[in-house]
Amino acid sequence: MTWFRITLTRSGIGMPAKVQGVLKALGLRKRMTTVYQPVTPSVAGQIMRIKELVDVKEVDQPLTKEQIRAARKPDPGYYVERRNAGNRARMYE
Amino acid sequence: MFGPFRLTNPLSGGLLWKIPWRLSRHQKYRHRERLRKVDGIVATLDAALARHGQTMRKVERWKEEMPTEAEMLPKDKYTVFDRKVKRYRKGIHKVPKWTRVSQRLNPPGF
Repeated sequence: MTWFRITLTRSGIGMPAKVQGVLKALGLRKRMTTVYQPVTPSVAGQIMRIKELVDVKEVDQPLTKEQIRAARKPDPGYYVERRNAGNRARMYE
Repeated sequence: MFGPFRLTNPLSGGLLWKIPWRLSRHQKYRHRERLRKVDGIVATLDAALARHGQTMRKVERWKEEMPTEAEMLPKDKYTVFDRKVKRYRKGIHKVPKWTRVSQRLNPPGF
């Protein structure tokens, strides 16, 4: 089982109702949204309708929304050495 | 003198909103990139379905009928048939929403 990773790169504004309906059906609400759909002929047909607007890749595993968000998160630039600052303060008392 | 309501020829009345009659070479380049992108998507769909042992009529038909970017003639890439234009051809950038629609084939003989 593989999946299509579909990203809306061009907006559907001003396109015919059928195209906008396909975008809605696939769950592409605004530009740069990414959805994962199973590889089936029906999904392929839907992608054919919006092929000028999207970026499509075949992937093995779909990512959840949380995973996509985590992948986008920049490196904070630090790491926490030790938690529990309260205990440490008590040490110096 | 500046700002959204400045007095320019297109704004001071009359219909004067000109689209150049031909594409610039950078427009042509971006247009080719878009064509290639669509070719890539169709290839992705076809490969993915083939891996599952399936086919799709629309994809098959596209592959059969539509030329890829490399196969297209420059004439078909950058111009389209229009019966109202002298010599029946106009620049593809005059097509409404031309960056988001596929327009590859033209009537035979034109």
